[in-house]
Amino acid sequence: MFRQSRAIMRREISYMWRDKGLRNILLFGSLLGLLLFAGVYSHQRLDNIPTAIVDLDKSNASQEVITDLKNSENLQIVTYPDDFVQLKELIEKGEVIVGIVIPENYGKNVALHRQTRVGVVIDGSNMAYATNASSAVLTVTRSIGAKIGISTLIAKGIEPNQAQEAYQSIEFREDSWFNPTTNYAYFLVLAFAVNIWQQCCTLASCMNVIGEKGVSSWMQIRSSGVSVWKLFICKSFVHIGAFMLMILPVYFLAFEVFKFPLACGWPAILLFTFTFAICLHSLGTVMSSAAGNAVDSTRFGMVIALPSFIISGFTWPLESMPQWFQPLAWFFPQTWFFQGINYLTFKNPGWEFMYRYFLILGLMAILFYSVAALFTHGITTFFRRG
Amino acid sequence: MKQIMTIAYYEAIHILKDKVLLLVVFIAPVLYAALFGMIYISGTLQHVPLGIVDLDHSTESRAVVSSFENTDNFKIISGVTSYEDLEKGMKNGTVRAGVVIPKDYSQKLSQHQLTQISTVYDGSNLIYGYNTRRYFITMLNTFSAEHTASYLAGLGMTKREITDVMDTVSYSMQVWYNPTYSYPTFIFIGMVVMILHQLGFLCIALTVTREKEKNTWIQFLCSAIPQWKIFIGKALPYFIAGFFNFSLLLWVAVRFINVKFSGSLVLILLLGLLFNIIITSSGFVVSLYAPNSLQVTRYLMLMSVPLFVISGYTWPGAYIPKLLNGLARLMPYTWMAEGIRYVTVKNLGVDYLVTIISVLALMAGGSSFLALTFSKRRKPFAQDRPTVNSTSLIPKKGF
Repeated sequence: MFRQSRAIMRREISYMWRDKGLRNILLFGSLLGLLLFAGVYSHQRLDNIPTAIVDLDKSNASQEVITDLKNSENLQIVTYPDDFVQLKELIEKGEVIVGIVIPENYGKNVALHRQTRVGVVIDGSNMAYATNASSAVLTVTRSIGAKIGISTLIAKGIEPNQAQEAYQSIEFREDSWFNPTTNYAYFLVLAFAVNIWQQCCTLASCMNVIGEKGVSSWMQIRSSGVSVWKLFICKSFVHIGAFMLMILPVYFLAFEVFKFPLACGWPAILLFTFTFAICLHSLGTVMSSAAGNAVDSTRFGMVIALPSFIISGFTWPLESMPQWFQPLAWFFPQTWFFQGINYLTFKNPGWEFMYRYFLILGLMAILFYSVAALFTHGITTFFRRG
Repeated sequence: MKQIMTIAYYEAIHILKDKVLLLVVFIAPVLYAALFGMIYISGTLQHVPLGIVDLDHSTESRAVVSSFENTDNFKIISGVTSYEDLEKGMKNGTVRAGVVIPKDYSQKLSQHQLTQISTVYDGSNLIYGYNTRRYFITMLNTFSAEHTASYLAGLGMTKREITDVMDTVSYSMQVWYNPTYSYPTFIFIGMVVMILHQLGFLCIALTVTREKEKNTWIQFLCSAIPQWKIFIGKALPYFIAGFFNFSLLLWVAVRFINVKFSGSLVLILLLGLLFNIIITSSGFVVSLYAPNSLQVTRYLMLMSVPLFVISGYTWPGAYIPKLLNGLARLMPYTWMAEGIRYVTVKNLGVDYLVTIISVLALMAGGSSFLALTFSKRRKPFAQDRPTVNSTSLIPKKGF
């Protein structure tokens, strides 16, 4: 009995290995993905946002503003255009993201405690830039405003300590939990890499049934008396084993070499990934049993695998999607997986919270395998009758 | 001309007969655009679930709470009364941001001592994280200003005097091109271009492999029809469908998803035309050399995420290493996505698009040349060992 199972598994490994395209995808797809994404996000944070200052005043007071802006954490002064027209062109070309215009007579007006207005322009066409840039600008303008306000109050005869209290008696502290350095690489690189991995797994599992019943050797298998169940279980064992072998180097590089956060520890992440691998394999099996040929099976699988990352709410939150759409998103196993990966790597909320993720992925796997069996049953019946 | 039209006619018939291909050519682009559009329809990230831990329970601390209640940016989650509740909520995702008002907040305020309000946000999703941070800073700037005004009023200063002091230097902040921080305006057009890129490739790249699998490609190779006619005939239906989809998806983006769409229509159509030529011709070249439809489908499907990420459309190119930036510059998607953003979002004219249009034109010329002049010489298939799914035979029912 075990000899037959071993032979089926060996045959399946040989099939996967000889399918050159699939072999390359499985061996290198997710690893290359991880390295590529790690390279793209190697800068990790959006600091040093290119900033231009148009200093129309050129006074000591305007120099102070420039110094404060230079000392700002996230802004980097890259150029000093002569006028607004030049600044506009730089922003249009995308060479600077933030533009500051210090008006004429700025120093004089500040000295005379007259009102003056500093112009700030932010290029909003890239949200990743714009959100960070506006936060940086708001922070620096608050501190500059407080400094000038205090000196104005002192000039008006208010005691220095009172002037200080007026502006600085409430301090605001901000903390980014789970990702204290707001590192973009921590947020996205692993997620993108496992997204590639799940796409590769979908491609492989979409060959499960059609890879057998779509070739003439199917007749030989049927006539050899090998049980369909044994064939299916042995093939699936090889597939899921290959999926897990594929993800191991990705996780090793991510957690041990790149030091991405892993709050839950190795056993939990591997067990969760294993559960998802089974569920994904079951979904691919449905596609492979329903499709008329291998190309259609691959297409059907990828129709779900491709948009699943966006649907999962890993980047744009599920809570911000339309109310009626949110429950639908949870029908995709990938939503449970990507959400679960986020919780496990960053937060580790504990078994009492995570058990439902394991449970639902397991239930989905049972459901999908059952549907696949129903599709395949028709073929089996046909052969029995034949 | 007749030969071209005949080839095009049979290709169109094939598209209409193959149900899955028909779906990929005409339905899938709209379906994906509608799906992504629905996901981003809310436009801006609002109602961030916020837990406020008010340890002071004073009039002053309630003022802080009500300032957060009176904004659409946050949605106060009830039941968060302690730091432990906040930690738990942040861990299980019911809360994405928190404010902690210390126990002695009002006392310290009345004694004019320094007090601290803590704000926390969930860094595990930086879309939440960065937006929440911006909302916090905006809120706290307003709150600080109110506090300063009331302090100065307490010193006996008149309203006018307070305004004079506080507005000595004011800042007028303008966010150009996307003042509402609309997420669809930022990302949706890039996704539309990716949908057109992937599905366009997927359709045309199967046109020759399919013929090879049916053993009919040999007829094209042996016939007296020149290469360029074969290419134009086979590519024409996909080119027309691609351009139709390009126009349709842009219309959907503007009409239903409320994506900002400004700039010259002529420029947009020119970009669409060049992009479509590149996709159609390079897809045809891929199809010429690919072993079968299965391999083409597999590799193409996997390309979408890497292409999108390295293009610099979301994570700016200035922060991507030069080598990867160079690689991205070889891809038509990078140029097209940048060009279409320049026109539709930034409303820039042709002066700013000279480089982009030149590169796309060069790519279109190069790929068209390769497609128009492909070799009709047959190469014998070298097969010295057993292979699976690597020849023109692919698994299908009714073998």
